[in-house]
Amino acid sequence: MKQSHMAFMESGNFLYTLDRFKEVPVLYKGENIKEALQEKIVSTDSSLSIFPYGPSSGGMVESVYFDILTQGERIQKVSFDAGFKNRSIKLSGLSMGDALLRIERMNGVHSAAYSSMFCHIWEKGIAMDIPDQIKYLRVAMMEAERISSHLFVASRLTGGASQNIAHMNILLLREELLRAIASAFGHRYFFGVNRLGGISRPVNINGFQKKIRQISDEYREIFHTLMDSRVFIDRLDRSAIIKGENSSGPAMRASGIKKDGRNLHRYYEGLEFKTITSDGGDALARFMVRSGEIHESASIIEQALLHSGDLKPDPEVNEGSDSFMAGGFMETPSGDASMIIKVRDGKLESTGFMSPSILNMEAFAGSVSGNTFADFLFGYESLGIWVCEMGDFQ
Amino acid sequence: MKAWILRSFRKGIITSKFPGGRNENASPWSTPPVYRKGDQDPYCPVGAISQGKADANRCISCGLCYPNYEPSMDIHGSVSSVSVPALKKSIRIYQIDVGSCGACNLEIGALANPQYDMARLGISFTNTPRHADALLVSGVLTDNMREPLMRAYEAMAEPRVVFAVGACAISGSLLGKAVSDTLRIDVTVPGCPPDPFTIMDAVQKARGVK
Ligand code: SF4
Repeated sequence: MKQSHMAFMESGNFLYTLDRFKEVPVLYKGENIKEALQEKIVSTDSSLSIFPYGPSSGGMVESVYFDILTQGERIQKVSFDAGFKNRSIKLSGLSMGDALLRIERMNGVHSAAYSSMFCHIWEKGIAMDIPDQIKYLRVAMMEAERISSHLFVASRLTGGASQNIAHMNILLLREELLRAIASAFGHRYFFGVNRLGGISRPVNINGFQKKIRQISDEYREIFHTLMDSRVFIDRLDRSAIIKGENSSGPAMRASGIKKDGRNLHRYYEGLEFKTITSDGGDALARFMVRSGEIHESASIIEQALLHSGDLKPDPEVNEGSDSFMAGGFMETPSGDASMIIKVRDGKLESTGFMSPSILNMEAFAGSVSGNTFADFLFGYESLGIWVCEMGDFQ
Repeated sequence: MKAWILRSFRKGIITSKFPGGRNENASPWSTPPVYRKGDQDPYCPVGAISQGKADANRCISCGLCYPNYEPSMDIHGSVSSVSVPALKKSIRIYQIDVGSCGACNLEIGALANPQYDMARLGISFTNTPRHADALLVSGVLTDNMREPLMRAYEAMAEPRVVFAVGACAISGSLLGKAVSDTLRIDVTVPGCPPDPFTIMDAVQKARGVK
């Protein structure tokens, strides 16, 4: 397939096609290809069709709507509307604790990263020092979450490519991981563990590192077996190529850019890990980066938990009534998230938030032009996009 | 291929004995909290605790009532107002996300994991509501998802069962509107998110298999 894809691009037809549509606007959230293009293109070219996909579709994990403009099996343009399921969550006027409950649920699958980021920002704002033990425990939580999230993406890609045995083996590992997280932290998605100044309930990490190591080793085996599968590689190779810095996290690193927020974050000081990169910028490169990161995360967890150990809950801290402005970032499994908060008398007055999925969704929409329809899924899934974190959080 | 076969032998049988036997595992705070100590009802951000009891349908699994309350580890908290024998042999599920944080979606999807292996119980997912017997709704109901939800429901043939999966869909939790404001709910599946065993147990109840 890749040969014919290449041949098509090199034949000039591709350029001709693009040239013909140079008038076509790039469409983003909220706009609709159908309306925008109806007069311009569809009426003059019967080989084009618009394929509406979503908002609720059995093939997707979350509700999201796409308009896909196709010519034959080739995608010409994609626009998306992430506004269907998006929640409008009001944070202003809330205390730290009440806001934290909502922030954990901005993206429940990356809740450790978001809650740690929010606690860190607030703690910075009130100049609260937290012990290294807590800092490292939060790192261990975020890295376990990263492994879980990357395994999920790997399961979607192997499932989509009909690599059913690999798919089931990856799901099996992810389930083992979630169970280990539940028994150590009391919740499969870390809800309620973080609180201002520390943690809110006992954590029992006995045997946790060993389990993580086992999962990482088993994944390595699965990965190597998958890399022998021509079918799997062909499905991902050159799908949805993204170059440059217009994406975030593993997607950006998969285009050769060695940027990882963890290298700059004080939580990760003193922990050794490699920044994994690849250079294809396609779905395969993103899969390789995520796979490499699983092993690095396992190593980070081992190092972090050496400093941390079993912990008892921290006494509840008085949230106080300070007024301040503070900001910060965190490298979530999908990429760099950042937040800035303004607090007056101990209550949130305003919040600015940027999620990596916004950037990655725009990068995705721009990357699938010229791909075949079958590549759509691999492009989307390989980016680890979470529509839930693209909502309105004020 | 040889590598996969060897790996399968090494792992052995990993599928749960549930529902024939006990669930081997549960996500502690996703199970309804129960009273342990203290004279007064502790603070609960959604007001789920009253007179020494936590209302599972409102609980958002935050753990803030600890140490006065602790997880019950009981995965049987779902309530079904229906029992549909026609679905005993096979039930096809369509999942619809009307405003979730993603966690409920993944826990519903987890039923396909080898540890739960829903297929052995005749449970399967379908990509279209037209082929579905059960609609599993997750998330708080956003205004823009109201129409897709109703269209999915109307596309289903009878008998059809609607599940509200998780605190958001059941009560709106902290984040929005409950699904029951718009659509009649047959089965409530508590938890934030519910443990996969709780979801599986709920599906079995709706089929009258328990
Ligand atoms: S876990 Fe949270 S929501 Fe549930 S009863 Fe306890 S305090 Fe209330």
